[in-house]
Amino acid sequence: MKLKSMSAEDKRVWLTIAAIVLLGICFLPIGQWLFGIRYTYTVRVVALGGSILGVISGTLGCFAVLRRESLMGDALSHAALPGIAVAFLLAGRDLGLLLIGAGIASWIALRFIAALLATTRLKQDAAMGIVLASWFAGGIALLAYIQSIPDASQAGLDQFIFGQAAAIIESDVLLISGVGAAVLLALALFWKEFKLVTFDGEFAGANGFQVGLINTLLSTLIVIAIVLGLQLAGVILMVGMLIAPGIAARQWTQKLNHMVILAAVFGAFAGGVGAVISAIDADIPTGPMIIVVAFSLVLASMALAPGRGLLWSSWRRRLDSRRFARQNALRDLYRYALSHGSPGTPVPDAFIRGIGDRSAALGLAQLLSSGLVETRGDSWQLTRSGIEAARRDAHSLRLWDLYRLHADDLGLPLLAEDRHLDIRDVLPAAAVGQLEAMTGQRPN
Amino acid sequence: MMALERWLIELLLHFVSRDEINAFLRSPQNTATIIGCLIAVSGALLGTFLLLRGMALTSDAISHTVLLGIVVAFLLMTDVFGMAGDTSSPWLILGASLAGVGTVVLTELLYRSGLLRQDAALGLAFPLLFAIAVILVSRFAEDVHLDEDAVLVGEIGLAWANTNSHCFDNCATVTISPDHPQAKMARQCRNCRELGISPRDEGAQFVEICSNCGSYSPAQAWQAGYLQKEPLLVFFPKSITVTLVMTALSLLFVIIFYKELKLTTFDAALAKALGFRPGVMNYALMILVSLVAVGAFDAVGSILVIAFFIIPPAAAYLLTDRLAIMLLLGPLIGAAGAFFGYDLARGKFFGIIEVADIIAGVNSIFGLDLPENWDSSISASMVLMIFIIFALAWVLSPRYGLISTLIRRANQRRRFNDQVVLAHIHNHQFTDRHATELRVKTLHIHFRWTVRKMARVLARLRALGFVALVDGFAELTERGETQVHAFRSAMLEAHNMPDIE
Repeated sequence: MKLKSMSAEDKRVWLTIAAIVLLGICFLPIGQWLFGIRYTYTVRVVALGGSILGVISGTLGCFAVLRRESLMGDALSHAALPGIAVAFLLAGRDLGLLLIGAGIASWIALRFIAALLATTRLKQDAAMGIVLASWFAGGIALLAYIQSIPDASQAGLDQFIFGQAAAIIESDVLLISGVGAAVLLALALFWKEFKLVTFDGEFAGANGFQVGLINTLLSTLIVIAIVLGLQLAGVILMVGMLIAPGIAARQWTQKLNHMVILAAVFGAFAGGVGAVISAIDADIPTGPMIIVVAFSLVLASMALAPGRGLLWSSWRRRLDSRRFARQNALRDLYRYALSHGSPGTPVPDAFIRGIGDRSAALGLAQLLSSGLVETRGDSWQLTRSGIEAARRDAHSLRLWDLYRLHADDLGLPLLAEDRHLDIRDVLPAAAVGQLEAMTGQRPN
Repeated sequence: MMALERWLIELLLHFVSRDEINAFLRSPQNTATIIGCLIAVSGALLGTFLLLRGMALTSDAISHTVLLGIVVAFLLMTDVFGMAGDTSSPWLILGASLAGVGTVVLTELLYRSGLLRQDAALGLAFPLLFAIAVILVSRFAEDVHLDEDAVLVGEIGLAWANTNSHCFDNCATVTISPDHPQAKMARQCRNCRELGISPRDEGAQFVEICSNCGSYSPAQAWQAGYLQKEPLLVFFPKSITVTLVMTALSLLFVIIFYKELKLTTFDAALAKALGFRPGVMNYALMILVSLVAVGAFDAVGSILVIAFFIIPPAAAYLLTDRLAIMLLLGPLIGAAGAFFGYDLARGKFFGIIEVADIIAGVNSIFGLDLPENWDSSISASMVLMIFIIFALAWVLSPRYGLISTLIRRANQRRRFNDQVVLAHIHNHQFTDRHATELRVKTLHIHFRWTVRKMARVLARLRALGFVALVDGFAELTERGETQVHAFRSAMLEAHNMPDIE
């Protein structure tokens, strides 16, 4: 990756990734120092498992978010519960088999929702709600039955409801990594197809792609990601782990490949840090803690992301309002002075404040500090450079007027009309020249 | 609450005796069924509008967050204000329903920021609030009744045991003070522990304490044996009162605002133009949904309750096009599910099939050794039963059911095939391409059909008397000709086009 050839956005994404990785690494000593976490073997295994799961679910979650199927993740994770119970009843407690059972149950739920949508007039939200509640009820009923079986009550299937980090052992992490690697490989192989059906399914269909098949494959991968995360996050909260990294990543970039990489990093951070925090105290369930960390990442991204972020846009709004205030004050002063004689005529303070109120004060202060205006007792007078600036602005305004009238006839490039900008900054010089020529033809 | 219960019992006492009421309510089955039916009725009434507004999953979000409201209100009550923790207290219900409405507001805020979509906002908001609630429960509320199981499935099976007692006769409250003849006085060493001495040692100081002093309600007094005459008591499960109030509120809301609800649901823009307030109606609905979710929390937990909101109206929606009938059918379906659900939890399926037999079958097929006594979660079984009724409605509904839809689609396909073939013959008959286009042996090529399908369609058309085969060519009969004209003009009329012939 050559640094020079990267766009500003590329750099930003890589910077964010580096920052998050750094933050994650820094968290280890901070956690030890602040919360007294001891990095025992168990905690290390759990944190590793959490991070790996975060990568898998974050990556696939991007597609769920972009396809507007966030809530499908919720329905499918709830729907896994009966599969776990049935697998336990039939085959006993083996994580691999339990997860296969969970996957089958979710997958049946997925097809059931599709069948409801295809054959009835129920909408997607209702179909998902129906399947979510019924499958979950089936799981709960079976779990209650399992509890009544002697010996089996200690099986700890409850952990799949809220997630339990302590139950994860090394072989589980190996299993998760193996399956996860296969899922990511499949994602890489079908990257182009997934991208196409996610953004424009109709176009994909028209170009001869098997949209139905690709959709099913993608949904199946999402189901696998959900199922892998159940042990850690639990069926109820898995949806948060699935979609939160994707939503956070979406704030930073417009490109799918960046979004997926960012989501993987965010997911790893949330999974790892959440798991470590929940190791502080046996009473803190892992799944909920991971969700809280993931949601903090979303909030931080919503606030901080350059361009889209809330802080960023409120800062921009602030700058804009300062600029507008300055410009409006200059225009008001110039207009008043012109209509009362020459541009150098002093303007009474009461008049200018009467027009603009708070924004007038803001504007006048700026004009004063940049030397465009001077105080003369109770009034304001434009300085030489102030008159110069006001003339330039007035000229720009006249060019804007001409642009509005003649842009079509002259074949000028199409602009969003923003009279707070100097037209000479936004329009090509040749086009400005054409407009200037018209001012000569028709002096005001 | 108490006054309402008393009034209800007085009403009931006109018809049945006290012992009958007590015996009836003491049965776990009766109480659980009543509560289940009440939740089903209120849920289905409100759920109908949620479903029609495309907000079915909002009930999911609300019911999840209600948990957070309950936990926070509960912790505030017990730890901050030092009150007794009681999940049917009006304060708690109020706080929790505010939290439910809060989710809707939070989701809107997230969505309005323009940074994420509506489904993402919903999918983000409620797992977070639920996660916080679960952390709070497992950190601070471990020893109280708010455990994780109760959160998931509720305790509808134990609702009969959590009662208020109402006294109607011989109602003496008893106060035992230290000078009361029945006071149990005991001597206790005051300073033994701190000095580490035994009560026999010297220097031990004693205080007289009364182990049973305090005031007793009639029920407690009778139980403790302080009353000669048995008071006339009726025990009324608290959950019934709560769910009854919620049901009454929902019913009143739907009846009073039927017109407004209908209008804002089906045409919000028109409602606004006519001067109604769709937003107000929406929030009123959300508040009621929250109230019902809180009321149902004790009985069915915070997740299963969404089944009571969504599934019965969805089943009704597959059976009828009329809102009023949907509002009748939904509660009926929900109540039926709750009624049969109790039996399912105890191992009987509609009273026909025993779950034990199914388990025995599974055991023999897979060579397992699972116990055959099925004793499961009541609330989950109620949901399963509601789902089974939904599935029946889906398969069997006369208009929108799976079977009728499949039949209708098969008919459409058949009619389409018939018309395509008839039109083809009509177009090419008596033209010079007649020899290539209408030869029976090669006819299937023009439709890209298999030979078998072509033969089937042709056989049907011949049987109907629309097509005749002459020297190996297909020809329209007179009836076939009329048929073509009939469906052609119908089609042109449907598309509002002039007839070209």
